[in-house]
Amino acid sequence: MATSKDIMEALADYKQQCNNNQRLRRMQRDWSKLLHFVAKDTGDSFTMEVKNGEIISNREGTHGVPDVIVTATSEDMCDMFWGDLNPAQKYLDGEILVKASPEDVQRIDAITMIIWPES
Amino acid sequence: MTDPKDSLQKIKDQALADYAKHVSPMKVRTLTQAGVNLIEDRREGTSVWDITGKKYIDCMTGAGIMNVGRRNPEIINALKQALDNLDIGVFLFMSKQKADLAKKIAEIAPGNLNCTVFGVGGGEAVDTALKLARGYSMKKEIIYADKAYHGHTGFALSAIGRDSFREPFEPLMPGFKKVPYNDAKAIEETITNDTAAVILETIQGEGGINVPSDEFLPKVRKVCDERDVLLILDEIQTGMGRTGKMFACEHWGVTPDIMTIAKSLGGGIYPISATVYRKELQDFFIPHPFVHLSTFGGSDLGCVVALATIDYIEKHHLLENATRMGDRFRNGFSRILAGFPDLLLEVRQKGLMMGLQYSNGSIGPRMTKKLAERGVLAVYTGNDPSVCRLMPSLVITPEEVDFVLNALDDSMKVLSEEDGIGRND
Repeated sequence: MATSKDIMEALADYKQQCNNNQRLRRMQRDWSKLLHFVAKDTGDSFTMEVKNGEIISNREGTHGVPDVIVTATSEDMCDMFWGDLNPAQKYLDGEILVKASPEDVQRIDAITMIIWPES
Repeated sequence: MTDPKDSLQKIKDQALADYAKHVSPMKVRTLTQAGVNLIEDRREGTSVWDITGKKYIDCMTGAGIMNVGRRNPEIINALKQALDNLDIGVFLFMSKQKADLAKKIAEIAPGNLNCTVFGVGGGEAVDTALKLARGYSMKKEIIYADKAYHGHTGFALSAIGRDSFREPFEPLMPGFKKVPYNDAKAIEETITNDTAAVILETIQGEGGINVPSDEFLPKVRKVCDERDVLLILDEIQTGMGRTGKMFACEHWGVTPDIMTIAKSLGGGIYPISATVYRKELQDFFIPHPFVHLSTFGGSDLGCVVALATIDYIEKHHLLENATRMGDRFRNGFSRILAGFPDLLLEVRQKGLMMGLQYSNGSIGPRMTKKLAERGVLAVYTGNDPSVCRLMPSLVITPEEVDFVLNALDDSMKVLSEEDGIGRND
């Protein structure tokens, strides 16, 4: 089980990886979304704001009306942001739940592919 | 000694790597994750084999390209014979093959749809239909439906009911107005004195196999007649026998002014499409005979293949088989519906055009993977991932129908044990 602090650290690393990747930033420049992440085992939740492809903020708790809601175990959530698991595979196995448009699901997987090409 | 399966797997891996590098990495990734990254090898009847030897019953068929089955021997033979004498032909000239096919289409098309402009694919056929509508009527507005899919070319894209397909390319053609599907009143209220045409899929394919109410199309026809607006029906997925009639609009006794045909017109062998229209509309082309040209549209080889395809559908009674096998599917679906009421909410169907409405959008991709593991190719619809599209070849046998139903039943059993299958998940 991962703590809220663990997940915030993983999110901070994910933010850095994404924002420092110029190719990804260019590719996602038309993507502005509010994402909620919910850890189903601990009940912790997090909000990520993306504006024009840049992750503007990661915050604890749920804020605003989300475009995307991702529900996973706290451990899977950490692994996802560290790049240690393939979220799409977990999604297809029903272990990570995503409420979003198909386009947004595709975008999230595209981010994973760009920052962790071997995932 | 090397296991032949290992070497086939190596060939497959290399093909996937080359495709990812030179065509589309994201397509390879997405289809691999969904368990449908097959490299098509042998193709026969209702089935396709991955290069590694795994067999699948193809219920996707490129959204209805393979109505006569994959690599149909009679169609292949017609093409082989044609290759002894013909080539594509020069688009500017007349040809016997084009004339023969146009005449045959006039015979099988409903009502007074007697004239044809040939193209290569569905998008081109829709572009032609919309150009003809504007050119003939000298009016500008086009009414199309939410969730509609008519192709990715210029005019067709302007009539697509999915924002993510449109937005990267805006501004699109002006004058296109969206209304809900299956809502004749909304169409009536949207028509103005500058409306050229209403374009609709007879049954929405990518939108989620949306079968219209029995009143919808007759009412739209009536409104169009009263308001002097052309009705375009897109039969690209629904045509060529898919629904148990040669064209789906025949179920409702409605004849459009313009109708588009593609996909299975080419028998799964050769790309060809047709924009079919009633004779009066030819008045637009008489002073403008060269206003719309297509280099490869209605190529002589394509016309031979299309004629052989129509002949095959008629000779082998595929409309009747589509109805019979559709009924067999329907019986099976009712058992599955009863067994998994939280997972499968509804079945929408006309003949062998079938859509399974799941409880939420994550189920479509997950079922695609599970069905592939069980030897069935069935991909969720493009504009609605909560709907599984089943469009097998019309040559499907009762045993194959039962195989697909068993795979569905088994997949749902497994899925029903997983998380995230409720309506609100």
